[in-house]
Amino acid sequence: MVKEYNKEYKIEYRKRDILYTAGLWLVSLILPDPHLPYRREFIKKRDFFYLGALLLLPLILSDRLVYLMVLAGIYAVVALGLSLFLGYAGQISLGHAAFFGIGAYTTAILTTRYAVSPLGAFGASALAAAVCAYLIGKPILKLKGYFLALATLGFGEIFLVMVRESRSLTGGVSGIFGIPWFSVAGLAFDTYLKQYYLIWGVLIALVLFAKNLVRSKMGRALLAVAASEDAAASVGINVAQIKVRVFVLSAAFAGIAGSLFSCVMSTANPQGFGLGLSVLIVMMVIMGGMGNLYGPIFAAIFLTWLTDALGGYQEYSLPIYGVILILLLIFFPDGVGTRLNERLIYLISYWGRKRRRERVDI
Amino acid sequence: MTPWVHIPQLLAAGITMGAIYALVALGFVIIVRASQIINFAQGEFVMLGGVVTFFFIKGAGLPYPLAALAAVLVVICIGLLLHLLVIYPLRKASVLILIMATVGASIVLSNTSALLFGTLPKALPPFSGDLPLEIGDIRIAPQGLWVFGATFFLFFALYLLSHRTLLGKAMEASSTDPLGADLTGIARNFMVFLAFGVSAGVGAIAGVLVTPLFYTSYNAGTLLGFKGFIAAVVGGWGKNSGAILGGFVLGIVESTSIAFIPAGYKDAVAFVVLLLILYFRPKGILGSPYIDSRRW
Amino acid sequence: MSLLSIDTISKSYDGVRALHRLSLSVREGTIKGLIGPNGAGKTTLFHLITGVERPTRGTISFQGMDITALEPHEIALRGVGRTFQTLQVMGTMTVVENVLTGMHSRLKGGFLSCGLWLPWIHKGERAALQEAKETLEFLGLLGRWKWNASHLSFAQQKMLELGRALAMRPKLLLLDEPAAGLTPAEVTRLAEKICWLREQGITILIVEHHMGMIMDIADEVAALHNGELITEGPPDAVRNDPRVIEAYLRGRDA
Repeated sequence: MVKEYNKEYKIEYRKRDILYTAGLWLVSLILPDPHLPYRREFIKKRDFFYLGALLLLPLILSDRLVYLMVLAGIYAVVALGLSLFLGYAGQISLGHAAFFGIGAYTTAILTTRYAVSPLGAFGASALAAAVCAYLIGKPILKLKGYFLALATLGFGEIFLVMVRESRSLTGGVSGIFGIPWFSVAGLAFDTYLKQYYLIWGVLIALVLFAKNLVRSKMGRALLAVAASEDAAASVGINVAQIKVRVFVLSAAFAGIAGSLFSCVMSTANPQGFGLGLSVLIVMMVIMGGMGNLYGPIFAAIFLTWLTDALGGYQEYSLPIYGVILILLLIFFPDGVGTRLNERLIYLISYWGRKRRRERVDI
Repeated sequence: MTPWVHIPQLLAAGITMGAIYALVALGFVIIVRASQIINFAQGEFVMLGGVVTFFFIKGAGLPYPLAALAAVLVVICIGLLLHLLVIYPLRKASVLILIMATVGASIVLSNTSALLFGTLPKALPPFSGDLPLEIGDIRIAPQGLWVFGATFFLFFALYLLSHRTLLGKAMEASSTDPLGADLTGIARNFMVFLAFGVSAGVGAIAGVLVTPLFYTSYNAGTLLGFKGFIAAVVGGWGKNSGAILGGFVLGIVESTSIAFIPAGYKDAVAFVVLLLILYFRPKGILGSPYIDSRRW
Repeated sequence: MSLLSIDTISKSYDGVRALHRLSLSVREGTIKGLIGPNGAGKTTLFHLITGVERPTRGTISFQGMDITALEPHEIALRGVGRTFQTLQVMGTMTVVENVLTGMHSRLKGGFLSCGLWLPWIHKGERAALQEAKETLEFLGLLGRWKWNASHLSFAQQKMLELGRALAMRPKLLLLDEPAAGLTPAEVTRLAEKICWLREQGITILIVEHHMGMIMDIADEVAALHNGELITEGPPDAVRNDPRVIEAYLRGRDA
């Protein structure tokens, strides 16, 4: 009798133990921890403000602007992934549009030809992009600087050529049509409004993941690799492996974004997945600031709006776009946020300095 | 018919193409020898050489040689402007920013060309007539010989510049040891400025020579620029001779590959060659003074 | 019992002979100094030991196992830590994060578990932070633990680099000119700390030009010149060895 009672008690205890741990984990995911300074900053008051703004925004924006925000959200996911690779680990990639395209085409092919559910295709897209990144990354990531940039660019171009040539699979230059809306358990995301909440919800989840990553030992490892590969190796960090892994992770993000892009656009064609997009995403990360997670997201919104305001692919817009890119690089190489802050502080302190100067001149 | 039958003709085409790649590669290397910057807009210089010549002939009614000369001068000015407006302000910036800035410049140049001169492909008449020369089974356009000749002439001229003149040596010094160059009184920024001008000139000459063979249009520069870069890496990064050799190797490999794979994949061949070289021998065929293979 | 033993190592770079048939060993729990004029091959030797370069000939063993062909991070994981002659402090991170980076190999978790902030990651981070703060206190940097690492003074950055290497709990510590650029007071403090480390059981190999410090704290000194070992032994014997004096006075190819 006593034995049975003990066993029952043990099972109850186990169940409670598991629930308790799970509860603690969920709580520690979100709430700050006073004992860990980085966790204290995990979610600031500002973040609730951003969240609120995000939730309410579509209610005041016109339909066209909501569409822009959907697009911005998709690009923001890619930029977030790239910011881990470029902004934190300090490596250059001019071919991320290819992973975006891989995700888009995987979803397109699976849902139109093989009647796979959008959710399944979503997972497969992320996986496909990750696998390609692994295969490409292992040899390429031995390179540094200009050569890495060019090798990734080369990969992006090869991807485009492959897509254009494998007509039977990808529809060649004209692409694939009729991709169904993204849907989960019967709920189809067919309006811009629903897509907006879907994409920004996904983005928020990924941001939480990235924040956790960045504040943990892996985030430190990324920064260490960027700062000094020799020093990182001297403390036991496997530099080559870290580079490949963060490359794969950023590619998975791009694949996820690509999949959602297909579902929003209903078509997939090679035009949108070339060097222009890769350059745009890199600009988002640079403008957002290196070592920053929110910056690239704001930059994504800004640059998507800018590209749209310049009218896409009309004659006058592209040269102006190029000029704006160059100007942004000359004036904001550390990211718009850093410089704006400095300029703002400089401006505000102008009056104080003017007064001091006047006093001295007596 | 086995693919091998086509090889001699493809080889000839490859050598012609190779000479063009060699010229574009030379343009890259000139700038690298002065400053370690890779100019993504190099292909645009080539494109502009052809397009501006066409404009001078059709729009301004100049005779062919004069139009070509004027075009080369215009492109040299564009190259110098590129340095003044984009490279010089960013002289202290990181590698990534410089890459992005030259990519931005490439976007500006190619699309401004589309804006000013239209998007239709342009053609120029060949220098010495249309009739192809026939050597055995192979047909060579005489224009190809002009390209070939110009390549070696320019190579020789640049050799004289960098090995026999003080200016050339000063340019090299600013690339290999910027601080030392500064300390010995070499005006480093001016060296880079000149390098951009020379490189633009070489590119423009290449453009004038190559347009009679292939049409040129506003977006031809990008791909040509990348292939030129690949050629420079393949032959030996940072060496003029490497650029020439790499150009021919790339041209031949690319042309002969058509015999074995569908034609649409031709552009991918160049990038595959790049990946192979970077993986197996980053220094390039002739070796490179700039790449330390120990730490690669 | 020798912790590290270097067996007839030779290294040439494109014909330039950096090291020639060098044999050396470091006994466990001792401090060994490595001296010699600049260009004698001291930093090259460090590169070879830590796996950054491969020797042209010869082998290196650590704790009896051959580490000649291993990658740098694998050698580090065996318990070999080092500091760098050109300070490699990670300026993008805070002071405490630099030390925490040193503990990378001792913390559990990969990309996925860190991103999901699984419970053991949380516990590990807490414990690691505590230990990192203790290390910083030992080095005298606790007051600035949240500072950006690039805002520290030069001497403090050197201490931070030492802290990062210590965070690994190494068995062998390679110090590359730790006293360079320090004032005499700072050098004394550094020497005290290094002796304390020896008492904790860490074996130390120091490359140094600061004769005073080496002679004070080293149990044994080896002198290099032109890539060869010219003498080895207790500090006093080496200091007074005529060949060493000639090497320092005459310089290269003497």
